[in-house]
Amino acid sequence: MTQRKRGGPLQGVRVVELTKVWAGPYVGKLLSFLGAEVIRVESLESLDVTRTFGVADINKAPGFQAVNPQKLSVQIDMKQPQGIALLKDLLARADIVVENLRPGAVRRLGLGYEAVRQVKPDIVYVSMGMWGSEGPLAYQTGYAPCFAALGGVSLLVGYEGEAPAGMNVRYADSTFGAAAAYAATVALLHRRRTGVGQFVDVSAVECMTSMIGDTVMESLLGGTVPLGRGNRHPDMAPHGVYPCREGEWISIAAAGDADWARLCEAMGQPGLAQDTRFRDLAARKAAEDELDRRLAAWTAGRDAAGLAAELQDRGLAAARSQSSVDLVADPHLWGSGFFREVHTSEGEARSIVGPSWKMTREAAIGAAAPRLGEHNAYVLGEILGLSPERQRELAEAGVAR
Amino acid sequence: MSALRPYRVLELSESVAGEYCGKLLADFGAEVIKLEKPGEGSPTRRLGPFAGTGEALERSGLFAYLNTNKRSVSLDPADPAAAEALRRLLERVDVVIDDHAPGWLKGIGLDPQAFSAAWPRLLLCSITPYGQTPPEDRRHAQDLNVFHASGWGYHTPTGADESRPPLNGAGRFLPSYEAALDSAMCIVAALYEREGSGQGQFIEVSAQQVLASRVDYVLGQMVAGDMDVSTRRNALDLFGPAGIFRCRDGYAYIWMSAPSHWDGLRRLLGDPEWMKAFPERWLERECTPPRVAECRRHIAAWLATQDKEPVAAEAQKLGLTLVPVNSAEDLKGSPQYRHRGYLAELEHPVLGRSLYPTVPYKLSETPARLESPAPLLGQDTARLLAGEGA
Repeated sequence: MTQRKRGGPLQGVRVVELTKVWAGPYVGKLLSFLGAEVIRVESLESLDVTRTFGVADINKAPGFQAVNPQKLSVQIDMKQPQGIALLKDLLARADIVVENLRPGAVRRLGLGYEAVRQVKPDIVYVSMGMWGSEGPLAYQTGYAPCFAALGGVSLLVGYEGEAPAGMNVRYADSTFGAAAAYAATVALLHRRRTGVGQFVDVSAVECMTSMIGDTVMESLLGGTVPLGRGNRHPDMAPHGVYPCREGEWISIAAAGDADWARLCEAMGQPGLAQDTRFRDLAARKAAEDELDRRLAAWTAGRDAAGLAAELQDRGLAAARSQSSVDLVADPHLWGSGFFREVHTSEGEARSIVGPSWKMTREAAIGAAAPRLGEHNAYVLGEILGLSPERQRELAEAGVAR
Repeated sequence: MSALRPYRVLELSESVAGEYCGKLLADFGAEVIKLEKPGEGSPTRRLGPFAGTGEALERSGLFAYLNTNKRSVSLDPADPAAAEALRRLLERVDVVIDDHAPGWLKGIGLDPQAFSAAWPRLLLCSITPYGQTPPEDRRHAQDLNVFHASGWGYHTPTGADESRPPLNGAGRFLPSYEAALDSAMCIVAALYEREGSGQGQFIEVSAQQVLASRVDYVLGQMVAGDMDVSTRRNALDLFGPAGIFRCRDGYAYIWMSAPSHWDGLRRLLGDPEWMKAFPERWLERECTPPRVAECRRHIAAWLATQDKEPVAAEAQKLGLTLVPVNSAEDLKGSPQYRHRGYLAELEHPVLGRSLYPTVPYKLSETPARLESPAPLLGQDTARLLAGEGA
């Protein structure tokens, strides 16, 4: 099976996913991009809702396809005892299992860590919960923006002097998944060296807090954390997002006095760099309203991409604020292979969001997300060694269709 | 023994992305040796928050946070006089982490294309804003620029007022932390492979790509042609009454997308008259802007009379997803954080005793540990350059 031999650092590693929606599947996606064979266990009886959003055909759901490329799908009904037995057989042949079901769900299914350890003593078992798997608040559930709110992230995003606005609503699930994937690789490496598996208990809320670790540290050291500082930064000025023509915006950050002087030249006002009101960081921070007004007046009406290029030529950190149309048309993201093409089993080409990294020996990525149960024959036949008759019986009993 | 104890890492990084990546490995016991310019130290030593007293380069809370469990060696890798010492260190490490601009590594004799001839087992990881071959107009970036180049900036916050500037993400370094996470994962995966192959390799991570991949659920649909792309600031949004509302003592976030959430709200509010005018299942089927506005108006008026913690606890019992919008101060008191030991105490020679954020994953066999505070500048130079090891 080509799935097993795509190269990449995790070639030969088998991951079983009991996951839904985004955060859990994102873990499998990263591991599969590193070369692991990732098998989603799914069933019609307990379908991942992202297979149903926006389409009648559960094999063509765009959101599901976006997050699950290069994975396998086996359909096993976890509501039947035979299905659980079959799944345990699969787990006995797996290296990692990832679950992000509702709190307590895996235990009710008889698939908690202790139960899985009985059949696979050295399993790396990754459990994902809003607050982690245990503790006084572990029973609570929520969606991505709840993680960001609880973890201290949302409060920090906002316009000065106003109520917090929070991150974009899409933020948090994938970060949670990336942290879980990192922890999984650490546990996997440990197992390779020592033969010992373990339980990896990941908290979404803590993942959010770790994205603002220095801010939390500031508070822990007794400092006062300013809320909603708009686009401002304590160590840089100017540091902001300024209007350009046709509703475009440009981000500009000046890290020091030399940057400021170059920016003044770009503005055609080299004398401004000597102006005592803006001479050093402390002065610019004190006069930041005026500074931002001047910059905004200068950027307004200009072309954002052209202005960014002009500032970059002078060694300045500037970038157009990219809309969705800018992103999808970004030639650098296509040229680097970040956006790339994969194929469905029917041979249909599909563009996906690829890995953030490149490495000397990387995994081939060529397959689109699987149809529901697309790999039943491979999983039941090749991995579990079940005869065609036995597979037929299981299909007729509705256990594995 | 923690999982990465057998590995040595040389950290050439001088900004947050690389330093945080080193920290992620050091948390699990890797011996991370940080090279710092003699007399100057890492630039993060000059970024706040600062302790009120103490030597100038030793009182940064940022440096203290990013460099726990590490060693510090005073050595400028770009100084030709240090080449021999650098070479000896490279003989002894498994991993090198760098976050300078593309080309810098080659300048110190670590050409990404060629280093493996001299150090075949070495893993070299370079974290940059736009990868190793950025276009001409993307050679310089701060985290703010990466956030905006990735698409997150333009679409922050949700429900943006198009006349006002898009907002930066939370805190100063979120893009750097995100990039570090993928980098650490790639490094550990490559170490896993090296256990078998005996070979090192070059790993490059683009922060722009890390951030853009964090919105893959939506961007993947757009790039596949399944979802419209546009210049709309709300192109990533989900619509409905969800959002942040003011409470008596702060803010709360409410999520509402399903009938069970609506029923939960009804019970929480005691079946108020205004809710009766809304059709059944309106959230899924008839979620019109006027209804959203009216719903939000009522929620806002009611929540303004509530305290965030008790109202959230009550809502959770009723199936309504309502949570407090926490501050760092709130998290210090969180019973859940206490239960998991997310904040751990450490004594730093200049900053004193303080709690530090730890890691969001608990590993039953090889937990992450805060063992030593961030090093004083060059404190391990003599020991490590003499080749004694740890």
